Amino acid sequence: MNLNDVTSLLWIATFCFGISFVLGMVKTRHSFPYGLQECPFILIVIGFFLQTRALYLRGIEVHGCPLGNGLERTQFILWSLILAFLLLRLVWQLNLLGTFCAGASLLLGSLSLGLKDWDAPYWKAEGYTRLFQDPWIELHASLAIFSYGLFCLLAVVSIMYLSQRQTLLSRKPGFLGPFLPPIQELEVAAFRLLAVGVTFLSLSMVVGTMHWTRHPEFVSQTKLAVTSALWIGYLVLLGMRMSNRLYGSRFAKWTIALFAIALLSLSLVSSKQKKQAFHALPLQPLALNLR
Amino acid sequence: MTPSPDSSLFLLGTSHQVANLNERESIALPSDSIDSFYRGLQELDGLKECLVLNTCNRTEIYGAAEDNLKIEVVSNYLAEFRDLDPEFMIQKTYRRAGPEVVRHLFEVASGIDSQMVGETEILGQLKKAYDDASERAFTGKVLNRLFQKSFQAAKWARTNTGISRGQVNLGNVLCELARRIFGQVGQCRVLVVGAGEVAEGALEAFKSRGSEAITVTGRTFDWCPLSRRKPDELAQKFDGFTLAYSKLHDSLHLFDVVLASTASAKALLTHKQVEVAMKKRPSKPLFVIDASVPRNVEEAASTVENVYLYNMDDVSAIANENLQSRLTEVERCRTALSKRALRLWEQMRAQPSLPS
Repeated sequence: MNLNDVTSLLWIATFCFGISFVLGMVKTRHSFPYGLQECPFILIVIGFFLQTRALYLRGIEVHGCPLGNGLERTQFILWSLILAFLLLRLVWQLNLLGTFCAGASLLLGSLSLGLKDWDAPYWKAEGYTRLFQDPWIELHASLAIFSYGLFCLLAVVSIMYLSQRQTLLSRKPGFLGPFLPPIQELEVAAFRLLAVGVTFLSLSMVVGTMHWTRHPEFVSQTKLAVTSALWIGYLVLLGMRMSNRLYGSRFAKWTIALFAIALLSLSLVSSKQKKQAFHALPLQPLALNLR
Repeated sequence: MTPSPDSSLFLLGTSHQVANLNERESIALPSDSIDSFYRGLQELDGLKECLVLNTCNRTEIYGAAEDNLKIEVVSNYLAEFRDLDPEFMIQKTYRRAGPEVVRHLFEVASGIDSQMVGETEILGQLKKAYDDASERAFTGKVLNRLFQKSFQAAKWARTNTGISRGQVNLGNVLCELARRIFGQVGQCRVLVVGAGEVAEGALEAFKSRGSEAITVTGRTFDWCPLSRRKPDELAQKFDGFTLAYSKLHDSLHLFDVVLASTASAKALLTHKQVEVAMKKRPSKPLFVIDASVPRNVEEAASTVENVYLYNMDDVSAIANENLQSRLTEVERCRTALSKRALRLWEQMRAQPSLPS
C-alpha cells in the first residue's frame, strides 16, 4: 500500500466506503457487539481522510485545486458529500444517512476510478503551467464543486425520502423503513440542503461571472449555457419548493434528476483553452474549469 | 332460559381467517341493529342462550340450544338479516360445536386468534359483548360459565406465555408509524373521530408518548354505540379538546394524525375532502387511520400526495409481521389453551344441566 500514490489512496478510500456501506446495511438488521457499533462511521472518517490526502497530493501535483479531469471532479464532489455529511451529523444524528453516503461514494468512486480515461494526466502535457492561475477562479471552482457535493447529499436524502415513502405507502414494515429517518424530517433536511447548495452555487456563479465578463474568450457558449441552465434549474426548484408548488415525492424526484443532469453536464462541456492545450488527449469533462 | 340436558353448544362466526375486509363488512351487524338482531334470535325455535360478539374484525354468535336447532337456521337468519346469499354465508363463516367452541373462545379471548396476535382489545370487547347479552338475559348457565372461564384462560395465557410481549397493540403500532412519518410523536396534533375502544387504545399510546394536542369529535356527543362513552368524556380523559363535528372538514388541515373509529355506514372523509385539506398543508404529511368497519375514509384518499392512509387490515398485517418470531410461543399457548378447554368441556358435560 503506497500512501503517496493518489490512485491507491482513492481506491482504499472507496474500499472503506464500501465496507462501511455493507456494515451499515447489516447493522440495520443485526445488532453489533459493543465497541463495534461505530465501525461504519469510523470507516467513513478513515475514507474521508484518505480521500483528502489523495486530493491534497494531486493538488500539489497540478499546482492548484484538482478539478482538471473526470476523476478529480467526481472525487471532489464525493469528498464534499462526505464533508457535508460529517458536518450535518453533528446536528443530525443519522447513521443511515452515512450508510447511504458511503453507498453513493462506493458507486461513483468505483466508476471514476474504473474509467482510465477519466484520469488523463493533463498536468504532464507540454506547456502546462498551472490549472488555475487566478485565485478567484479557484474559489469559483471549489465553491461550485462543494455545492455539487451538497446537491449529491440532497439526492441521497431524496432517495431515502422516496424509500421511506414507498415503504409507508406499501403498508408493510419493509426492510429499511423502520430504520430510515422520519419522512417529515427528510423533507425539511432536503429543503435546507437545497437552500444551502443554491447559495454556494450562486456565490460560485457570481465569482465565475466576474471572470467571464473580463475574459469571455475562455468560456465556451455550451459551457455557459449548461452551467447557467443548471443554476437556473436549482433556483427554480428552490422557488417552487418555497412557494409550496413542488413538494413531497415530486420534489424528491426533481432533486435526483437535476443532480443526474449536473453529473452528466460535467462531461458535456469543456473550456476553450483546455481543448487547445490538450487536443491530443481524450475529451475531458470540464464544466467548472473556467480557465 | 335454562338449557335442558340435551342442549348443545354452537358457534357461527366470521373473521379475518375466512373473510376479507369487504366480506366482513357485509356480514358485520350495524351497531344500531343489535337489539333487533337479538330479538330475532330469541324467536328461533330451540335456542336457549345466545351471545353476539360484533367487533371490527369478527362477528360471532355463540349459543346453547336444543338438539332440534340446526346451526343452518341461525346462519340463514343472519343471512336474511344482512340480506346476504346463504351460499355466501356458508363460504365465509365457520361453524363450531361442543368442545371446539370452548377451544375457539379461549383462543379468541387470549388474543391468539386475532389479526394482531396477542392484542388485548379483544378481551375488553368480549367482556362488553358478554355484559350486553347478560343485561338482555340471553345468557344462562352454559354461556355464563363458558365466558367467565374464557376470561380466566385469557388472563392465564397473558401471564404465563409470551403472547402479549412486544408491540402487538394497535396503538403502539400506530405510534411507530407516526414516528416514521413525523419523528416526534409527542409533537403530533391528533384528531379522533368517534369514541370507540380502538380510538381510546390509540389515544392511550399517543398520550404515553407525550402527545398534548389531542382533539376528539363525533357525529354525536351523545352515547357512542361502540364504547358507550361520549366523545367529550374521551377528550376529558386524555386532557384533550372537543371539536364540533360540523367543523371536522374545515379543520382537517390543522391535524397531523386523524383516527376515524365510528360505526358510520358511510365514508366520513372522502377523497375530495382530504384533497382540499391537503391544499392547506401541502408539504406536511397527514397520517389517516381508518379503524372502522365499514370503512370511514375513502380508499382513494390515499392517492393524495403526502397522505398515508392505513386501515385495520394494514395495521394488523404490520403487527403480525413483527410477531413472526413469536409464533412458537403462540403454538405453546394454543396447546395449553386446548388442554384447558378440553378440561372445561368435560366438567361441563359432567353436570346434568349442561350441553352434551
